[in-house]
Amino acid sequence: MLKHLFKLIWNKRKQNFLFLSEILVSFLVIFAVFSFLTFYYQNYTKPLGFDYERVWTINYDNGRLTKNNDSLQTFYSNLRNSLKAMPQIEEVTYASANFPYSNSTMSTAVKKNGKRFDRVNFYTADENYDKVWNVKLLSGRWFKPEDAVGKNKSIVINETLKTAMFGNGSAIGQLIGDYEDKAKMKVIGVVQDVKTSGDYWPAGNAVFNRLDTGYLKDIRNVLIKVSTDADATFESNLYKFMTNNFKNSTIEIGHLSEMRDSKNEVTVIPMIIFMIIAAFLVINVALGLFGVLWYNINQRKGEIGLRRAIGASGNNVSSQLILEALVLATLSLVVGCFFAVQFPLLSVFDVPSSVYVIAMLLAVAFIYLLVFACALYPGKQASGIHPAIALHEE
Amino acid sequence: MIRLQNIEKVYRTDTVETLAINGINLQIAKGEFLSIMGPSGCGKSTLLNIMGLLDEPSKGSININDQDVSKFSDQRLAKFRNEKLGFIFQSYHLINDLHVLDNVELPLLYRSSSAKERRQLATAALEKVGLSNRLKHFPTQLSGGQRQRVAIARAIVGNPQIILADEPTGNLDSGMGNEIMEILINLNRNEGTTIVMVTHDENMANKTHRLVRLFDGSQVQ
Repeated sequence: MLKHLFKLIWNKRKQNFLFLSEILVSFLVIFAVFSFLTFYYQNYTKPLGFDYERVWTINYDNGRLTKNNDSLQTFYSNLRNSLKAMPQIEEVTYASANFPYSNSTMSTAVKKNGKRFDRVNFYTADENYDKVWNVKLLSGRWFKPEDAVGKNKSIVINETLKTAMFGNGSAIGQLIGDYEDKAKMKVIGVVQDVKTSGDYWPAGNAVFNRLDTGYLKDIRNVLIKVSTDADATFESNLYKFMTNNFKNSTIEIGHLSEMRDSKNEVTVIPMIIFMIIAAFLVINVALGLFGVLWYNINQRKGEIGLRRAIGASGNNVSSQLILEALVLATLSLVVGCFFAVQFPLLSVFDVPSSVYVIAMLLAVAFIYLLVFACALYPGKQASGIHPAIALHEE
Repeated sequence: MIRLQNIEKVYRTDTVETLAINGINLQIAKGEFLSIMGPSGCGKSTLLNIMGLLDEPSKGSININDQDVSKFSDQRLAKFRNEKLGFIFQSYHLINDLHVLDNVELPLLYRSSSAKERRQLATAALEKVGLSNRLKHFPTQLSGGQRQRVAIARAIVGNPQIILADEPTGNLDSGMGNEIMEILINLNRNEGTTIVMVTHDENMANKTHRLVRLFDGSQVQ
């Protein structure tokens, strides 16, 4: 019967062109939607790698501070001590502007044995960074003051970069080159991946570089971990304190939990809009498919009557029409999968292959379900066509 | 072989009730070639559809091969039609998107047979009607007479005991009509197939064993 249906469909390929095109376009759109959803879901289920609760950021304009490194070091050391003296503050750290959930990014490339690893997030952090963020160390250690005098610059890398560079081997004590492979950096620790761009984005490769005195003039953020007692009154006092210390420059205090929500919204809202548009498309396609199948059945009443006369039961007729729709869908899906499979093969957008493979399988299942649902009612109606009337009408 | 007892068929709409068949009693013996004649709208095709189990009578019973088929389920009726009955229609009812050979194979798709077996049986049926050189043609590439011969091949491919022909020569000129009639007569004579044929043509009807005339849904001869 399947061969018979293929023959029938092939011989009616011109009439079926609209149906085939609709399914193909729907598959590609659904594949895109599922690719996004799978990508976001896979990232969402991975651990965050740090704690953002009760972490505040204090942003300031550093233009009015002295440019003298020694004076700056003293200034920041005093500031840290003053802040830490406040009972509501548990930890204080200075870091580059690309701290988690900020809208700032810094990336570089690193080399190992001549092999280049691109798009490596480059974070500058001091000795207390891991305590503020509760970054989870997998091996080695975080920065210590004595790292300032090492022969090679000390760095901490994340798990993704470690796996890419060293596989299952140990990274601790290994030397890796900077983007020009001139200076060598020594890996002293490996931390769990830190999803700094929100819950739905991967951590990517990351290198944590120790903040040295030369970088102090570029610091514009103080990150603090506050206790549960830190309320609006404390925030107001903190603001005044910082304003006094920074000679009335603009001070902004941000809460990382709110920044996280904003960051996630940037991902979720466009995705919801995309899904709504896709849903409208799917509804239109479903109505279209339903219409095409309904029209086909009305056009083929004579054939249905004939099949009933020569031995098809009502169920046979219904199954045949549903099967025909599924065979047609299969033809479109073969073409659709040919295009879709190029994405994992060519590693498009640097997304893991598993995302595209899962999205493809989900899209195929979705299209089959859609076609089955659209064919079910017309198929049932066809099975109810009275053979004598159908043959007479023809 | 076929026994119709007190068959009535009423078509009902919201406002009108039409009596299409009125108390028909008919017995058709095995190997008989029967023709049914009558003016348009007298219920010939309705009666044929009832005999072919394509339509249900409003009243009365149908026995075929001593089986009361009125109580058969849809599934069982379909199987019975497939194995015991063959249909020939005035407008051929061929599927234009399938080759001649595939059209003839159709009834065999609804029974368990291999593709090879189906091909052999369909080719043999087409040979019987003299169309073995048109296997890969589409119905639209054939003349009316050839199309009706394809329809006959489709009707006989499953080796049915009964063939029901609804004006098989109605769309054909007299030459082609006679050719089709010859095929049916040979089938009846050589294979012993019981044939019930509805026709408007007195000449064709005269070639059959028995003629039944209908008028306003009732048997008058």
